[in-house]
Amino acid sequence: MGQDNGFHQGMGFAARLGTEMVAATLIGAGMGYALDWLFGTRPWFLALGVIFGGAAGCLGVYRTAMQTINENNENDNNETDSNP
Amino acid sequence: MAEKESPLHHFELHPIVDIHLGGLDLSINKAVIAMWIGMAVVYGLFMLVGKKGTSMIPGKLQSMLEMSLEFIKGMVKEFIGDEGMKYFNFVGTLFFFILCCNLIGLIPGSYTITSQLVVTGTFAVIIFVMTLIIGISKHGGHFFSILVPPGVPKIMIPVMVPIEIISMLARPISLSVRLFANMTAGHTVLAVLFGLGLSAPMWIGWLPLGFTVIINGLEIAIAVIQAYIFTTLTCVYIGDVIKLH
Repeated sequence: MGQDNGFHQGMGFAARLGTEMVAATLIGAGMGYALDWLFGTRPWFLALGVIFGGAAGCLGVYRTAMQTINENNENDNNETDSNP
Repeated sequence: MAEKESPLHHFELHPIVDIHLGGLDLSINKAVIAMWIGMAVVYGLFMLVGKKGTSMIPGKLQSMLEMSLEFIKGMVKEFIGDEGMKYFNFVGTLFFFILCCNLIGLIPGSYTITSQLVVTGTFAVIIFVMTLIIGISKHGGHFFSILVPPGVPKIMIPVMVPIEIISMLARPISLSVRLFANMTAGHTVLAVLFGLGLSAPMWIGWLPLGFTVIINGLEIAIAVIQAYIFTTLTCVYIGDVIKLH
């Protein structure tokens, strides 16, 4: 496990981003549907929920991606620093 | 025989010992036994090394366990920080248990308990509730500032708070569905290929049968990767509520 190569990490990364996006959209839609059911305002909260859920999914993916890019950059810098 | 041809057949559970207490169904089936075996393997591995006494020159088993423990320790330190070491036991146990259950499921005839959404969902909900408790006990009412990302203009707060709530709630779902879906999909692919290999005539049937061997190798990698991802994300979530941005 210490020698996880790029392929394995990339695959895990892709799986992580994909499910995160889907889960956020579904949660948004579910919350919208529940609010509609509560207030009887179908379909307005559902539509709003899907939009918010999608936004949450995109935000999550963006954050994870930026974090990984930053980590990779740091690793690259460290590697070049350690070389005399 | 007809129902055995469904590739999802091996996920079905039938009680071996019927136990009904009140309205509760506590029957023992294949999944329960597989979970017990998983626990026994984790416990046995560590007891085997612990009982024998750790030596300065580690044997194969000891060095393998020490390496994986060091690996998890590094993960906890990286994602939670130094104060995260009190969660090291929890994270380590989680990793070894999920890894063992994933790997045990690959032995033909056994059962993969992580292919049940109930099991992975329970893990995810426990982790989610745990992060909430850790966050609230550590930061008190200030914990809810996690819902407002730093540097957001005041006018955007009504939009950002629902988005943050949704992304918080999506975490346990994506955590549990990821592990469950990966395990279920892998085993279904294996079952489909095996069914093809058995039903095809011999001159072509060796092809899918050969593929099952290759996919089985890939499944071992997936078992390790998924256990790793599950524990990494647990660390990330705990780290998030401790650091609050």
